[in-house]
Amino acid sequence: MAAILAERRHGFGFVTPLLVVMLAAFNLPILYMLALGFWSKQGGFTTEHYAALFDAPIYLRVLANTLRISVVATLVNVAIGYPLAYWMRGLSPRAQFIAVACVITPFWISILVRTYAWIVVLGNNGMVNRLLQWTGLTDAPVSFLYNELGVMIGMANVLLPFLVLPLFAAMLRIDDRLMQAAASMGAPPRTIFLKVFLPLTMPALASGALLVFILCLGFYVTPAILGGGKVPMISNLLDFLINQIPRWEQASAVSTILLVVTLLIFAAYRALDRKVGA
Amino acid sequence: MKRRTLLAGAAALRLVAVIRPASAQLREMRMVESGGKSGESIDVGYAAPFTAKTGIRLVRESPGNLGKLQAMIASGRITAASFELGSGTMVQARKLGLIEKLDWAAINPMPMFPEAKNEFGFGYQYFSTIMAWRKAAKAPQNWVDFFNTKDFPGKRAIPDYPAYAIAFALLSEGVPQDKLFPLDVDRGLKKLLSIRRDISVLWKAGAQAPQLLKDNEVQYAIAWSGRVVEEPDLAYSFNGGMADLSFICTVKGAPKAEQEAMNKLYYEMSVPENQAKAAGVIAYTGPSPALDPLLPKDKIGMFPTAKANKDVQWVQNAEWWAENGESANKKWEEFKLSL
Amino acid sequence: MTDIRLEAISKHYGAFKAADNVDLAVAQGEFVTILGPSGSGKTTLLSLIAGLNQPSTGRILIGGRDVTGSSPQQRNVGLVFQSYALFPHMSVFDNVAFPLRVRKTPADALRRKVMAALELVQLHGLAGRRPAQLSGGQQQRVALARAFVFEPDILLLDEPLGALDRKLREELQVELKQLQRRLGVTTILVTHDQEEALSLSDRVMVLDRGQVQQIAAPQEAYLRPANRFVADFLGIANFVPLPGGREGVIRPERIRLAAAGGLPAQVVEAVYLGQIIRYHLTAEGRNFVAAAPFVGQPHAIGDTVSLTWVEADVWPVA
Ligand SMILES: Nc1ncnc2c1ncn2[C@@H]1O[C@H](COP(=O)(O)OP(=O)(O)OP(=O)(O)O)[C@@H](O)[C@H]1O
Ligand SMILES: [Mg+2]
Repeated sequence: MAAILAERRHGFGFVTPLLVVMLAAFNLPILYMLALGFWSKQGGFTTEHYAALFDAPIYLRVLANTLRISVVATLVNVAIGYPLAYWMRGLSPRAQFIAVACVITPFWISILVRTYAWIVVLGNNGMVNRLLQWTGLTDAPVSFLYNELGVMIGMANVLLPFLVLPLFAAMLRIDDRLMQAAASMGAPPRTIFLKVFLPLTMPALASGALLVFILCLGFYVTPAILGGGKVPMISNLLDFLINQIPRWEQASAVSTILLVVTLLIFAAYRALDRKVGA
Repeated sequence: MKRRTLLAGAAALRLVAVIRPASAQLREMRMVESGGKSGESIDVGYAAPFTAKTGIRLVRESPGNLGKLQAMIASGRITAASFELGSGTMVQARKLGLIEKLDWAAINPMPMFPEAKNEFGFGYQYFSTIMAWRKAAKAPQNWVDFFNTKDFPGKRAIPDYPAYAIAFALLSEGVPQDKLFPLDVDRGLKKLLSIRRDISVLWKAGAQAPQLLKDNEVQYAIAWSGRVVEEPDLAYSFNGGMADLSFICTVKGAPKAEQEAMNKLYYEMSVPENQAKAAGVIAYTGPSPALDPLLPKDKIGMFPTAKANKDVQWVQNAEWWAENGESANKKWEEFKLSL
Repeated sequence: MTDIRLEAISKHYGAFKAADNVDLAVAQGEFVTILGPSGSGKTTLLSLIAGLNQPSTGRILIGGRDVTGSSPQQRNVGLVFQSYALFPHMSVFDNVAFPLRVRKTPADALRRKVMAALELVQLHGLAGRRPAQLSGGQQQRVALARAFVFEPDILLLDEPLGALDRKLREELQVELKQLQRRLGVTTILVTHDQEEALSLSDRVMVLDRGQVQQIAAPQEAYLRPANRFVADFLGIANFVPLPGGREGVIRPERIRLAAAGGLPAQVVEAVYLGQIIRYHLTAEGRNFVAAAPFVGQPHAIGDTVSLTWVEADVWPVA
């Protein structure tokens, strides 16, 4: 036994340097980026870049806008994704396979192509508007694009798989007999869903939603194109600060705040998760 | 174990030797540029004669931006000898010491417009930012008309770049072309806000503007000239348009042999015949004053440097933007949030 | 309280019949056990009675009311699943409280009833735990408590004691029987354990491939099995030829080993089971099993003995 343990430790010893290198390699750039925000042009420590942020809080307002859009997009995703996953759970295995394939296909199509495809579908001259006008439901085209609605639709399309797949997997794992047991004890369908099914899918729902939210924060292409540039997101701002006028220190300060906000949200999620799990 | 490492090391050394031949014999050279048709025009117009004369292949890589250049310098691995930069970003790059001063005596170019002959870059391609509209829409004569949404009704698309949008709003307010700079950003944004209900899209990619016009999402747009002049359904005007330049710059610390080869490439870029070939690929033009007679007669009105067009335009003030870009951008973000 | 009637119940899965024309009448307060090999349709029958599944043909009546097609909520049936089906996200207390909460039981009554039920299954100390923190046997007891805590009209138990050790199982069997008697609840139990079936039930029903083989009092089914399958399935059966080419079954404890005067047989194996000893023998090319009280000098392997029985103890089977 001791020999086995020793051997294991020995084996681990072989990979330790690799792990250290990997950790360093992955995290050094991040640390460097973080440090940059406290680095003054003359050299040495400074908080001027942060002070600048709070003096002219427009970047913070863009950040707030990003958070708001991300929250709404996440909620939209949940509102679409949960019923979708639930519906898929009830399908025959064959139909489930097809449904999963449909959900995954967007993964294989370039985000740019997908985004432009929405223009074809939802534009003023797009298929949906032509159909609406042809059926006489509206006489003027409906503005689906170049506003927050467009951004929502685009984001939902891109991010839905990230929510639906883990949720669907979690739902598949739920034993039908639990619902049957609840029914046999006299619970009506509503109660069965609220007290048994929903709580059991809650961890997957929460982690899926968190993932979607964090991905939303970094969205770049979709808001730029489907939002008609009128929905400022933090990633577009960072692109400007890094690539147009290299103010890496300023970009670092903005990213650091974004990172802190994200970590706070993650911590809140963990705390909530632990409380629910206890 | 040790032995194997040594062998691997030796193999790696040999590999390095293959990749980097003795500097005496330069076989290829890399350039980071913006890609697409523009990149193709570099191949057709300039790389072809350059390679024919020197035997050095030009390998293009795209896209590039200032961040990439800065990262390349910071990492100390100069993987490309030259970099395409916009006029504003070139000023930034100069201030950050990312590009080499050019040896114009060694380049010894054919005649070129003075603004293209920059101390730190070769202005190889003029492009204009102009007004364009659907042929079905009422044609504006000038920027006053473009911003008059009452008499020229329709949705507008404008660039999501303050440096390519704000000045036109000031022109519509009657500011003369030669008095634009220093730019009154607040006044320009106020004007833009006054027509916010008609601004449908702020575009980021050059291809968006013509597409939005063709899809009838907008009826009027501020667009890059090369993207709209050849569209049959669209009309355009260079009147009050902004001429700007794209520069090719030599990357700081590029190997001597490559810098020397770059000088030869710059020379090819100054030859009007070569520029005419490049203009056949994309409707942007090189900096030669002698280019007009070499361009196709029926298409002469499409090119930014054609005499009739160059005379009614003004030139972008990159120095001002390099100085004031960040504060202008803050105001721009604010403007976008209040749209 | 309530009686159950199954009338010509069948359940088809495609061409496969999980239940095939089953008739069963369980009187109010009666305790019936379903026995049968794996896959014979025991769970299927329970789920049909509980309303979790609908029969392909036939009628189900509970308390004289036709409940065919009605939902589980309308049947007031307590059900213990073979796999327990405890809610993993709830504590033991909340699991047991679930049916009471559905019925909007007031808090103090709810607490009292849950604790009483947990006490009965000896789990009152573990009310705060999650199912994942319990042993298999403890989980089964929670499932049991959850099934009877709301005083259902009918208790359906799908192998509720299968995962328990022998001692606990015997204790709980007694508890279950007392509980059932006290509540007067009509009960159907599914089990693999014949002793359990024989000791607990008023009647047993033997199933094979979805078909009823016999419904009878335990001793009746044991001593007078309806057919060869039942004879073989319940306990150990010795088959002996009867006049007229028929066969009869006789139980091991009814065969006596004598010195002479019967059927000569050889001892192949002797298994000591405490108070009794079980002999495996061969005679005239047939195998026999005989059980004898463990007194005096037992026979050794290879011994030749003589088998005798009373003709009346042989029950003819088809
Ligand atoms: N949903 C279903 N689809 C198809 N066949 C099924 C289904 N449910 C049960 N069966 C089949 O019906 C038969 C009876 O199943 P059931 O679960 O009632 O057996 P059981 O007697 O409870 O067995 P065990 O003792 O192993 O629990 C089995 O052959 C089973 O495969
Ligand atoms: Mg079963």
